Amino acid sequence: MPDSFKMDNIPFSLLDQSEQALVSANLDLAYFQQGEKIIAAGEVPEGVHVILKGRVRESEAGEDQRQVYVHYENEDYFGGWSALRGRAIHDFIAEEETICHILPTRILLELMQSNALFADYFQQDFAVKTEIAAQHGKGQDMAEFMLSKITSATIREPLIVEEGTSIRDATRLMRESKADCLLARKGGRFGMVTGTDLLDAVVLKEMALDSDVSDLASYRLVTADPDDYLFNALVMMTRQQIERVVVMSGQTLLGVVELTDVLSYFSSHSHVIGIRIERASSIDDLREAAQGLNDLIKALISTGVKIRFTMDLLAAMNGRIIAKLFDLVIPADMQPHVCLIVMGSEGRGEQIMKTDQDNALIYRDGLSWASMQEVMNRFSEKLISFGFPPCPGNIMVSNPEWVNSVGDWTQKLSDWAETCEGEAQMKLAIAVDAKPVAGNQALFKVARNWFLRHLRNNDVFFSHFARAAIEFDTPLTFFGNLKDKSELDIKKGGIFPIVHGVRTLALEHRILATNTYKRIEALIESGQLQEREGREISEALSLFVQLRLRQQMRRVEESADGFDPTPNLIELQRLNRMERDLLRDALQVVKSFKKHLTLRYHLGG
Amino acid sequence: MIIPRTIRRLQDRRTHRNGPWANLFESYDGDEVVSLDCETTSLDVAQAEILSIGAVRIQGKRVKTSDRLDIRLKPPHSLTGESIKVHKIRASDLSDGIELEDALEQLLNFIGNRPILGYYVNYDIRVIDKFLRPRYGFGLPNKAIELSHVYHDIIKWKHVGGDVDLRFDTIASKLDIPIIQRHTALGDAITVALMYVRLKHGQSPTNTH
Repeated sequence: MPDSFKMDNIPFSLLDQSEQALVSANLDLAYFQQGEKIIAAGEVPEGVHVILKGRVRESEAGEDQRQVYVHYENEDYFGGWSALRGRAIHDFIAEEETICHILPTRILLELMQSNALFADYFQQDFAVKTEIAAQHGKGQDMAEFMLSKITSATIREPLIVEEGTSIRDATRLMRESKADCLLARKGGRFGMVTGTDLLDAVVLKEMALDSDVSDLASYRLVTADPDDYLFNALVMMTRQQIERVVVMSGQTLLGVVELTDVLSYFSSHSHVIGIRIERASSIDDLREAAQGLNDLIKALISTGVKIRFTMDLLAAMNGRIIAKLFDLVIPADMQPHVCLIVMGSEGRGEQIMKTDQDNALIYRDGLSWASMQEVMNRFSEKLISFGFPPCPGNIMVSNPEWVNSVGDWTQKLSDWAETCEGEAQMKLAIAVDAKPVAGNQALFKVARNWFLRHLRNNDVFFSHFARAAIEFDTPLTFFGNLKDKSELDIKKGGIFPIVHGVRTLALEHRILATNTYKRIEALIESGQLQEREGREISEALSLFVQLRLRQQMRRVEESADGFDPTPNLIELQRLNRMERDLLRDALQVVKSFKKHLTLRYHLGG
Repeated sequence: MIIPRTIRRLQDRRTHRNGPWANLFESYDGDEVVSLDCETTSLDVAQAEILSIGAVRIQGKRVKTSDRLDIRLKPPHSLTGESIKVHKIRASDLSDGIELEDALEQLLNFIGNRPILGYYVNYDIRVIDKFLRPRYGFGLPNKAIELSHVYHDIIKWKHVGGDVDLRFDTIASKLDIPIIQRHTALGDAITVALMYVRLKHGQSPTNTH
């Protein structure tokens, strides 16, 4: 069937020439009328259907035909999963006249046997699928998966001098090779000397021009693996406030990556903003720096940086802004006696756009500080002026309910844990994601550790707490449920069940991390989640966040006042076929995770 | 002497009733149809040489493209510049073609006694007959289904006055069928097959103008 069947679409593009010939020798064409059932639930499908022309919907079997899971259009394929399982579990119905290619199951199995990658794509779990798609997604809208490695940026050849080289020679050498740093070898080790180091040595320390450069060098090098993501190098530089990272492959020195190179790669200003935050000496300076963040987010998203890393970087940035503001607002003598914590998505390090501030203050038992609440009000006010919107639930330090001594705080946590009422459970959910950002962290840790011990073996609590994760119906039913038949609330349908389910598991096993991905990793490590399951959940969450973010940004740009009234809405018709495919698979992952929770915490019925 | 096809068919049938190809002359009671198309060097039957033959079986709503015939023949001597322009088939494209004798045998085996569907199918049948008769002593006995007639029969009720446009591309676009590899024998055979299935099983097209 040459030419009407597009072999360069994934997954058929994974096949080699003889396998593609096998496909084209075995394809049939079928015609379906509007409204005709192509595959009925419970039926044995003939094979994979690839649409040549038309539109097909996959929906719940039986009466309730309104529950549409997904639509397939030109060049989409469907029924592969059903073919492999032997029976279809949903109805596939032609919404308009449809012509399909049909690849018989027999051939599909044959191909899966001969081509492992193809088999993976069809059969394997969701995480592997995204991975394969990422590597082979040429020509598709795959920007978000493309993440450059350090090797793809300019690794500068290092300028190496031996021990004993004089400052004068070193400077001349640097000038000649137009480098602004060099590596000095001392024994078997390398140390870095930058232009600034030379300047400091000569001008400030008044060292002689023929003194040994290897004495100036700093030998605690920050190194990165060449296969590491370039973006991680940027995070490293931002966190450690340095401008160069040495690239080492095992014990071999490959070169130096400079901040300017990385920045030109990302065409953004994360480091610049970082520096501005650090150097801000007044609240106005800090506000200006904070406002640069939005542009940075946009730049990162459009460059296609993986969502998890973007979240990491932003969490680091927001943390620094808040810590800096704390420094500027809270009197220095009070700082050791209080601890500022951020909670909710901020505590988990998962917010992307600047979300509502959820923060609280814990102070030492018996601290007397008359103007505390007044200072806290000012703090919240400043944050709002920075563009962190106020929390609609008023969970911020300007609300006295969220300013507590260590004793009161632990009491509140345990009170909430004992109430099964919705609001208390919500507050608790927010509070257990807390992370200290400024002040005396020991205060926070005391309270947290006490609370985790307090919950130990309290099965009734966990059962109650977990219930919220399965409260919203099967996410797949959110398709087609609304007016437009093609929108879904991704927060209720996908993000919340994962985040809350993982939160419950983490709490039960006293995992200290607050970030959902890190919690999942810890749960896998301690054997509470199977590795495959955990990996799939992570990937699914990333996908939800990514899709949500892209649609949010589009809506913000289209709206007149830069405000998105429906931040959690996913408009399905804006997704391409690959994304719809992935979304459906990801929602399946959520479904099975909820089943897992139901069994584990006895939530059935 | 010109003998109408029906009479010749009766004659052929009597002659070959007990021959090796007797099954071709039995009346067909299955549910399959074969969509057939030939690419030739000329539109004049007397001069035409066959370049390639494409055919697919149709069963119900299914076009069985996995069960197909895609034959290229050895280049005939008459392959000239004119036909090359239409088919874009040059002698070198046919260098791996097979002999006409083998092609005819494959074709007869593929079609059997099924009805033959085509677009101006009589032309294809006559060209094939021209080569078949001297070698086998009979012409294709199969029932012929003319796509443009099927189309016309459905369309004419909605189309008061004036002629129905029966051009290939027009029919395809009216039926909203993608044209698959125009001007290859197999591509045309498949497109015709899809149009036929659409006409037989789908709703009649609404916009005929």
